[in-house]
Amino acid sequence: MCSVTKEQVYNELRKIIDPEVGFNLVEMGLIYDVEVDEECNVKVTMTLSTKACPLHQMITQWVEDAPKSIDGVKNVEVNLVWEPEWNISMAEDNVKKALGAL
Amino acid sequence: MFNISKDIAPPFKMIEPFFKFGSIIYLISIFSLLFLNSNSNLNDLNIVGWAHLFLLGFVMVIIFGAMAQLVPVVLEVGHFSVDLYYIIFPALSIGAILMVAGFWFVPVVLPYGGLLVLIAMATFLFETLMTLKKTEANTLTVKSVKYGNIFLTIAIIIGFFMALAIGEGVNVDISRFLPIHIVLVLFGYVTVTIIGLSMVLLPMFGLAHGYDDSDVELAFKIVVGSVIAYVICKLIGLNFIANIALAAIVVGIAFYLKQLLTLYKIRARKLVDIWYKHIYTAFISLGVAAVFGILWLLFGWENGLKVAIWLFVLGFFTFVINGHLLKIIPFLVWFERFSPLVGKKRVPMLHEMLPDKDVEYSFWFSLSGLIVGAFGLMFGSDSLFKGGVTLLGFGAIFMLITVLYILKFDVKDV
Repeated sequence: MCSVTKEQVYNELRKIIDPEVGFNLVEMGLIYDVEVDEECNVKVTMTLSTKACPLHQMITQWVEDAPKSIDGVKNVEVNLVWEPEWNISMAEDNVKKALGAL
Repeated sequence: MFNISKDIAPPFKMIEPFFKFGSIIYLISIFSLLFLNSNSNLNDLNIVGWAHLFLLGFVMVIIFGAMAQLVPVVLEVGHFSVDLYYIIFPALSIGAILMVAGFWFVPVVLPYGGLLVLIAMATFLFETLMTLKKTEANTLTVKSVKYGNIFLTIAIIIGFFMALAIGEGVNVDISRFLPIHIVLVLFGYVTVTIIGLSMVLLPMFGLAHGYDDSDVELAFKIVVGSVIAYVICKLIGLNFIANIALAAIVVGIAFYLKQLLTLYKIRARKLVDIWYKHIYTAFISLGVAAVFGILWLLFGWENGLKVAIWLFVLGFFTFVINGHLLKIIPFLVWFERFSPLVGKKRVPMLHEMLPDKDVEYSFWFSLSGLIVGAFGLMFGSDSLFKGGVTLLGFGAIFMLITVLYILKFDVKDV
């Protein structure tokens, strides 16, 4: 039985900050889902704010690396999706407020 | 979906000289305006020399440097051979200096400068076209790169023959080909390229999503079609229809501005930072330049044409380029020096890499210079024009300080 929780994975993902906007991926609403199976394999479903993001590969690599710092995590899979398309309503209120969208 | 990686991103040391050189030439080109008479004819060789200093040494150098980074992003494939940019920079920079020297001081060096510029641009075109062959995407941005580069090819061939005419006395009808050269470069290449790239960069920086892009599609078709019509009509001597094609370009620009208004309304990022200030200024300048251009077409108002060119070149081109330099250069430096440190130590945000005061001084001096200079040209007042140029010059000094600051930004500055 795996003792790693989704919350632990989210906490690690919160450490990844987009250097352009200055917010972490979770509060930006870019992480759509986290699954942890019984063998402690992690699957992160995420998107990016734009397909043209020049940090595309780097950010997905950071997402793949982040959960590995949790004891017990075996494999990490990143599932990058473009549907549903990201929009500002997916972000947390502090992000909307800081960007002037609230 | 393709994405940029350490393996195919252009090396920092390759791109850095483009931005340093471009910013230095921008400063020189602004102060060299002080030695020009604002009441000169636009065909005056001193004005032509200045135009090449500004457009080749600043606009083209910066666009080519930015393209080294942006081509993989917008075309969604890696470069055919990014190392070719090692040829492009010295050929373009030395060629631009020789051409300006040819126009201003020693006409005999003009063809040599022209040849170097031709080599630089042919290399750029070859690299870009070979990269285009790899992409399956057919977005507006991809089409803009294709058409922009076709127009640039024709423009530089015409330009080279005109350089031979001035430097070596080759028999070329300059009065016939100069307007074609200008329209191909300013509208066919620079404007079409900016339209295409802006449809990637503006939504990305403004966080604008889910919009209807039919206005920019129409704008693109009108501008491209009008440039082609202008060239053909000028070649066969249909000057009246060529002028209608020029007016149609203005209509195309109006649709482009309408698209930008849509992006502006739906953007999620509403904070007005220094990039936004530059972009606002650039596109307002473009709109006002279009109005003055129409006034010139309708009433033959020569000062109106000068104001239109001033706002188009020093308002639209300059502010759109300088605004994006404040995004692109910090990103390149961050990518080079800080991305390996993510997760290991605190890394700066991109906006933290800007010297806030210098950036603000640069913007406000440049904006006030742009406005004062425009009034100087409108009223035919050389002293007012020179006052505007001086203000622009202070803006250019602070811009250069900013660029050098960002390029030197390192771990110790965090």
